[in-house]
Amino acid sequence: MTVNGVARWTCRTHVSKVAVDGVLELAPLSNLPMIKDLASDMAPFFDKWAGAKGQFKGERSRHDDFASVQPDSVKRKAADAGIECIGCGVCYASCDTVTWRPDYLGPAALNRAWTLVNDERDVAGNERMRAIAGDAGCHACHTHTSCSERCPKGIAPTLGISALKRLTARAAMRGELG
Amino acid sequence: MSAATQARLWYLQRISAMILALCVVVHIVTIVYAVRGGLSGVEILARTRGNAVFAAFYVLFVVSAAIHAPIGLARIAEEWLQWRGRWLNGLLLVFALVLVAVGLSAVWGLYGGG
Repeated sequence: MTVNGVARWTCRTHVSKVAVDGVLELAPLSNLPMIKDLASDMAPFFDKWAGAKGQFKGERSRHDDFASVQPDSVKRKAADAGIECIGCGVCYASCDTVTWRPDYLGPAALNRAWTLVNDERDVAGNERMRAIAGDAGCHACHTHTSCSERCPKGIAPTLGISALKRLTARAAMRGELG
Repeated sequence: MSAATQARLWYLQRISAMILALCVVVHIVTIVYAVRGGLSGVEILARTRGNAVFAAFYVLFVVSAAIHAPIGLARIAEEWLQWRGRWLNGLLLVFALVLVAVGLSAVWGLYGGG
């Protein structure tokens, strides 16, 4: 919900930390269609997760051995930094770019994509890069960092998005995005 | 416009921004240094005419600006005015060509004698 004009993880935010002179103004999350009263329709938010190819796609079956992933590898650390997202939509509601261009995938979907780009077991890398490149994808981000500032889990989607920008732009310059 | 093309344009805008940042610093420092004691138009032309380094530097400046500005304007048009499409891309391409033409004619005016 929006509390005194700021998107919050409302069920875990103590009133004393956000009330201004004893006053609370509540509203539904921004950048999403309102269903009724304080309820926002989260469907567009999760549709964009799907649009950013946020599903894990592996190639091993239950008959194969476990994948060996080094916990201290650079890629695993990058994935760990973004993996605790709870899908609350606070970052999405705080993003000016989503407000300005509603087709922008938004910080949560791109953060999810970033964790999968760094998942050594995932095999849908090229497909995902094509899905998240361009003006409605990571390259629309203006690095305002509202998402990172307000994420209740302390995730910094801006960092992942910046890395995705460089990764996909270089792939595009090499002609790998088609 | 494909996502790959959009990503390439983003890359070109970032690279041109880096070049422009350097060019602007060199441009301003040179002006401040050169006009300390006052500088007339004739004196400026005496220094710039036939100076290949000067010409090459400003050709790079002009080309970078012509790449950078239209891509940024496209973003502003999209986000603030909801303008997009081939007509806008065409318009911005014309704008880029005008920037190149005007910029290079200015460089030629100072270098070649125009």
